[in-house]
Amino acid sequence: MSTQEKLISHVMKEEPVGCRNKVTVVGVGMVGMASAISVLLKDLCDELALVDVMEDKLKGEAMDLQHGALFLKTHKIVADKDYSVTANSKVVVVTAGARQQEGESRLNLVQRNVNIFKFIIPNIVKYSPNCILLVVSNPVDILTYVAWKLSGFPRHRVIGSGTNLDSARFRHLMGEKFHLHPSSCHGWIVGEHGDSSVAVWSGVNIAGVSLQTLNPNMGADGDSENWKELHKKVVDGAYEVIKLKGYTSWAIGMSVADLVESIVKNLHKVHPVSTLVQGMHGVKDEVFLSIPCVLGNSGLTDVIHMTLKPEEEKQLLLHTYHELVNQLLPLFHLSSSQCLSSSHFSTRCWFLLFASTVTLPDFFLVCFPDLRFALAPASTSVFVSFDGHQICR
Amino acid sequence: MASVLHKLITPLISGPPEPPRNKVTVVGVGQVGMACAVSILLRELADELALVDVVEDKLKGEMMDLQHGSLFLKTPKIVADKDYSVTANSRIVVVTAGVRQQEGESRLNLVQRNVNIFKHIIPQIVRYSPDCIIIVVSNPVDVLTYVTWKLSGLPMHRVIGSGTNLDSARFRFLMADKLGIHSSSFNGWILGEHGDTSVPVWSGTNVAGVNLQTLNPNIGTDFDEENWKETHKMVLDSDVDKLFPKFSFKYPHVSLISLATLRWNRQSLCMFLYQQGMYGIGDEVYLSLPCVLNSGGVASVVNMTLTDEEVAQLQGSASTLWDIQKDLRDI
Repeated sequence: MSTQEKLISHVMKEEPVGCRNKVTVVGVGMVGMASAISVLLKDLCDELALVDVMEDKLKGEAMDLQHGALFLKTHKIVADKDYSVTANSKVVVVTAGARQQEGESRLNLVQRNVNIFKFIIPNIVKYSPNCILLVVSNPVDILTYVAWKLSGFPRHRVIGSGTNLDSARFRHLMGEKFHLHPSSCHGWIVGEHGDSSVAVWSGVNIAGVSLQTLNPNMGADGDSENWKELHKKVVDGAYEVIKLKGYTSWAIGMSVADLVESIVKNLHKVHPVSTLVQGMHGVKDEVFLSIPCVLGNSGLTDVIHMTLKPEEEKQLLLHTYHELVNQLLPLFHLSSSQCLSSSHFSTRCWFLLFASTVTLPDFFLVCFPDLRFALAPASTSVFVSFDGHQICR
Repeated sequence: MASVLHKLITPLISGPPEPPRNKVTVVGVGQVGMACAVSILLRELADELALVDVVEDKLKGEMMDLQHGSLFLKTPKIVADKDYSVTANSRIVVVTAGVRQQEGESRLNLVQRNVNIFKHIIPQIVRYSPDCIIIVVSNPVDVLTYVTWKLSGLPMHRVIGSGTNLDSARFRFLMADKLGIHSSSFNGWILGEHGDTSVPVWSGTNVAGVNLQTLNPNIGTDFDEENWKETHKMVLDSDVDKLFPKFSFKYPHVSLISLATLRWNRQSLCMFLYQQGMYGIGDEVYLSLPCVLNSGGVASVVNMTLTDEEVAQLQGSASTLWDIQKDLRDI
């Protein structure tokens, strides 16, 4: 008899139940590993799976985490290039993709990452058809849309990490100003994660006291306290960290763990995350943007209707044009590099001028306020949209 | 900013803010340092965290990255600077700074280079936090803990090396994995030098008090049919830096969590301890032994019952270490 047999007798006759709260992290780069360690240190899952294409790094990272098993409450940590290791996951966190370079805007990452997702998403779905997808890779709003399309999942099971981190940064900065803990400073950043996010000034409050009531100019250009600068610091925050240390990891990792916690523990907590906003705030097309949503173990079950001022709503819509245009470009076999210029006409629509392609002379792509669009030759001075709207240039 | 602040908040107390009660400093913001920092933050162990390094950009970037996550943390103050004044009033200082071994470099040379770095670091730490406990993680940890002790002038119970804490953790993981149980349910200790000559104490390995050596008297020897010795070898080989030299790994020092947690509990842990006079060792060396840690540092040592062979191994490690240490200059 072996030592093991002398020591331990197996008494259960049935098959073991297996994992109940499995979390998979796709991509073991800085963000993926920061997410993994945050999830592990918060005791959120009973099994963690890691997937990547770089086999050596993947194996090394998995071993490194396993060696910490004594200090963790996650019994099983597995890793493989093959997606079968991700089977039966409750939550799959997708961090894979090209990294944002210094000075590169998030929107430039799109095409590179769409191609990667075309491989990843179907593999995830194959092995965890009932999972909740949490997309972190940038540009997150577009890639959440892509993941939703590629997976065929209902919209409540595809979530983008969105402005959860932007809001956290905002609340941190607010906390520094008032010498309070960020959790006591309430402020919501919604819309696109990144350059065009929208700070909802009307909602900023401490202990229910609306700060905009105390300072009606808050967030406007005439504001003597320059609150707008705070929002700008949030937008610039990521770029600054990238410039200093090469990438961001810890904050986004903790933000991911925060979202995973609400899902896995069925907290019904409200988070600003990226979801389908079609039909809300005047948006007519299939666009993903961040708004406050309720997260639980079924996924994203409810959305909160924000009371936005007209200017805030307009800002939200305005920035959806960028989104939509970049989603549309592939359909027209266009790339944003072909776009010569863009201009904004009387807050009602966007014009993007494209250089001539083999098949078309110089032309305009026009987006209307309701997110409908039109193509017209560059020489045109009057545009008629598909439903008869007329706009003069 | 001032007017909204004044309209909103009325202060009740004036005067300087209270100093921190549980401040931790991490010296070195490389992979290991940051893994320690994140583990400490996520385990909510400190009310203030300070980071120090010489590379200013990286230091500031790492600090900002952690600060951006402050909503999710319970550590209200995270600071960083090249200047050690930022580390003042620390209870614990974790030293992860140091250079890596170059190819073909002798151990003595590596140590001498690190001594020169420590000569800058350690006095500054002690200057600003004279009552702190220093935990040394940088490699070769056994020698550098000795160096730190010499340079700091602190009593030996307040200078600790992370030692074979990690080796023991790996050992317990690998053994427990073979038996299908959680690492914490398997008890086994690795002592001595952190590295190739560490000593697994097979006579102490047990699960639920059932001693494995009683079940298998050959355990850990070359005559063992089940080849349990292989597990210890796997611990030695699992230094992932050797396995995957292209990448540097950081999470082994998740073990640091346990260290910090045990500050306030009287629990046993494998740490480096000044060993002169124990087990017949005459030299001034640091080797790992099971130590009881509490808020004052190392409170006591557990006297293990070792076989003659195990004692001989420890003595051998001690002389190897002393051979290196005696030639070090300027400490």
